[in-house]
Amino acid sequence: MAEGSSATTRKGAEGLFERVESLVEVAMLLPHGMSDEEVEGLLRVLPPDTSRSMRALLCPRFRDVSLDFIKMLGGWVQELRRAKEEGRKVVLIPFNFPPEVVYIFRNAIPLTSEVMTTLGVSVLEGQGERYWDHAMGLGIPDYLCSSSTIELGSILTGRDFQPDIIVQSAPGACDANSKIHEFVSLHMGIPQVILEKPTEATSRGRELHRRYFLALIRRLEEMIGEELDEERMRGVLEEANRASDLYYELYDLRKFSPCPVPNIFSIFTYGTRFTRWGRPQATEMMRRMVELSRRRREEGAYPADEEVARCMWLYIGYYFDFLGFFNWMEERGITYLNDILSLCQPLHVDTTSRESMLAGLAEACFEYPMTRQIGGDSMSLSWIEEMCQFIRDLDANCAIYSGHHACKQTWSIINQVRREITKRTGTPVLCLQGDSWIRRMTPTSVLQEEISSFVDNVVARRKRTRARA
Amino acid sequence: MEDPAELAGDILNTHLEEWRRGGGRIVGYTCVATPREIMDAAGILPYRIRALGKPERELADAHLSRFNCGFCRACLQLGLEGTYDFLDGLVENNGCDHLRGMFEDWVYAKRPGFFHYLRVPHIVSEVSLEFFAEELELFREALGRHFQVEITDASLKEAMERNNRTRESLRELFSLREGERPALTGRQALAVILLESSLPPAAFEEYLARFLEKSRGNEVKGYRARLLLAGSATDELELVGEIENVGGLVVCDALCYGTRAFWNLPRLAGDPIHALAEAYLKHLLCPRMFDDYHTRLDYILRAAERAKAEGAVLVYNKFCDLHGVENVRLRMDLEEAGIPVLVLEKEYGSGADLGRIRTRIQAFLERIGG
Repeated sequence: MAEGSSATTRKGAEGLFERVESLVEVAMLLPHGMSDEEVEGLLRVLPPDTSRSMRALLCPRFRDVSLDFIKMLGGWVQELRRAKEEGRKVVLIPFNFPPEVVYIFRNAIPLTSEVMTTLGVSVLEGQGERYWDHAMGLGIPDYLCSSSTIELGSILTGRDFQPDIIVQSAPGACDANSKIHEFVSLHMGIPQVILEKPTEATSRGRELHRRYFLALIRRLEEMIGEELDEERMRGVLEEANRASDLYYELYDLRKFSPCPVPNIFSIFTYGTRFTRWGRPQATEMMRRMVELSRRRREEGAYPADEEVARCMWLYIGYYFDFLGFFNWMEERGITYLNDILSLCQPLHVDTTSRESMLAGLAEACFEYPMTRQIGGDSMSLSWIEEMCQFIRDLDANCAIYSGHHACKQTWSIINQVRREITKRTGTPVLCLQGDSWIRRMTPTSVLQEEISSFVDNVVARRKRTRARA
Repeated sequence: MEDPAELAGDILNTHLEEWRRGGGRIVGYTCVATPREIMDAAGILPYRIRALGKPERELADAHLSRFNCGFCRACLQLGLEGTYDFLDGLVENNGCDHLRGMFEDWVYAKRPGFFHYLRVPHIVSEVSLEFFAEELELFREALGRHFQVEITDASLKEAMERNNRTRESLRELFSLREGERPALTGRQALAVILLESSLPPAAFEEYLARFLEKSRGNEVKGYRARLLLAGSATDELELVGEIENVGGLVVCDALCYGTRAFWNLPRLAGDPIHALAEAYLKHLLCPRMFDDYHTRLDYILRAAERAKAEGAVLVYNKFCDLHGVENVRLRMDLEEAGIPVLVLEKEYGSGADLGRIRTRIQAFLERIGG
């Protein structure tokens, strides 16, 4: 499509995607090496919500890597637009579906609903609230998950960028996610393909899942109108493997104290994993994060005098205020080590043959974060075991559960998870309550107060007591 | 004869006590995707766990949270306070996120003697049916092993035959409320269903036969409008009573503690495990199933048409994702089909909610001219 018509589409844009598209187009022009004065000047002309997020992202400690991240996501948004215009299929996927499964098709591109929501919430003035409100106006209950409902709410307006196919992979792992995707499919007449993940993590459950996955691939081949090409698949998966290697390097860097990996890199990690895995842009992004963290490690750089808390976020974080969350903690010596999403633990896929690659992709779906833990026979068992292992491995001295209100599955078992983690690792656990993508429920100031009280009164005190002993 | 609502109003009834005194075993389950026939064939009484609108949650809330469905919290409360200690075991399945949490917490806190997880696929396909049949086979083995009883194909067929008979009688009874002159109230119908899953099979068959006989020729009078009631786990006799107290007569339903538990199930014959797998999975009219919305919509439309319902009340417990979202689409489609709809979110078992519900039902009746 010509530049002009693209601009016409975005003029007066109302949808979340289109508004994000307009913003990233400008943000992508920002050069590396911007001075603090230039950043301050820029922040002054931006609307308040956008300015606050940009202030967090353009923090001098990791400014250039943030710009790379913005450019990577901006490139993704632009490619989605181009794909649509070229008649390639835009496949809406939830966060718990590996995007490389879509990239193995030449004529398709993944649009990850939760990432688009997060982008909107972080960069748009008014965040994503108007799209949430639109969904509520249709009658969608207010306890649904804002992570998907904000982007899907925008699609439901009928005035935003529309996907061609919906992949749904949460039946049995998350009712809220599955049902809203189904609703959008019915309401907007967008065909839906379902991948069920059996709860049973035995060879029997995995075999069933493999058969479901192969059926999904066949459906995608029909809907996209393209037969899988082995060479293309191999290219995508080799690229994904390279990104995975870098993922584990970054993971290992988090073991150092003080942690050289900036807090915000957790969201950069899964922002990359959930959108561009299998593409060179993802590999490059991971490389940039590793390089900067390595350099910070060598320099012993850390933004606070002391690393007071090494905090494992048992579930997810909060995404409506990067500045008041990631940066605020970091500057107080509270390290955000990882959360369930950044602990995505990507698998190395065997690229020997078509069969081995498909088997590897099926396995990647099965082992996706949240799916593998909360989607198990027992929702708590592997969640507890994995978190205990990560707490030990990363030497965390505290854990926090964000308590995103829509996650009824985790809310239903968090009490036993909390008890077991404390019992097995001796780590204190703080349970917060709020909506991770909407500031209306629990404002940043309240979250900060609770985190501060926990760190000052429990974590720091224990640390002092241990040091004296 | 005893009113079904009175008999169903207790978790533990005299028939169950008698069953236990005679050495009978009882296993609890909650979801309609659980083939009762397998337990029945083992001589075990399949008891469908319910909470009957219990408002207390203190013990349950130390495990579940206020973001979980009140029905599950109330069931867990009963489990933790010992009301369900008469059960010899529990069967969980992956019905919904709340139910899974409830069972997980129950098992964590109480460690029941027998516990089995029955995995139910969310889509119907050749592959999923094959898997579900295997699941039922595993369930049969687990029950047999734990309770030291052989569940033969012959005993399964016998249990299927008995359940077929019961379902036919239930269909006949429920048809009586759909007719021009409804013979029973919605509250009575709900009570009968609750009894079906809380009485020994023989006792229920006998009770049902007598109640059916009594109902023939009966006529409920004095109502303002004929309603369809659909939605999430609703075992609250009081709620249906409130709807009917203000003049709405529930003449048909699409509830899982209602017709969804039996209406569409075919007569079961042939290889028992495969017949059960097919019948239960293919006819599972629950929004936890995917790629199947239009089957559920058709079911409701046909029920409304048969019973000449003048309006539909779609209820759901607060925090129920499955029905909360499904009801949005159902409302749109039912209204397009000319059926006025009231979507009613409720806090399960809350007496404080009843006043609000009453007002909304009254307003709805006004709206539809009842």
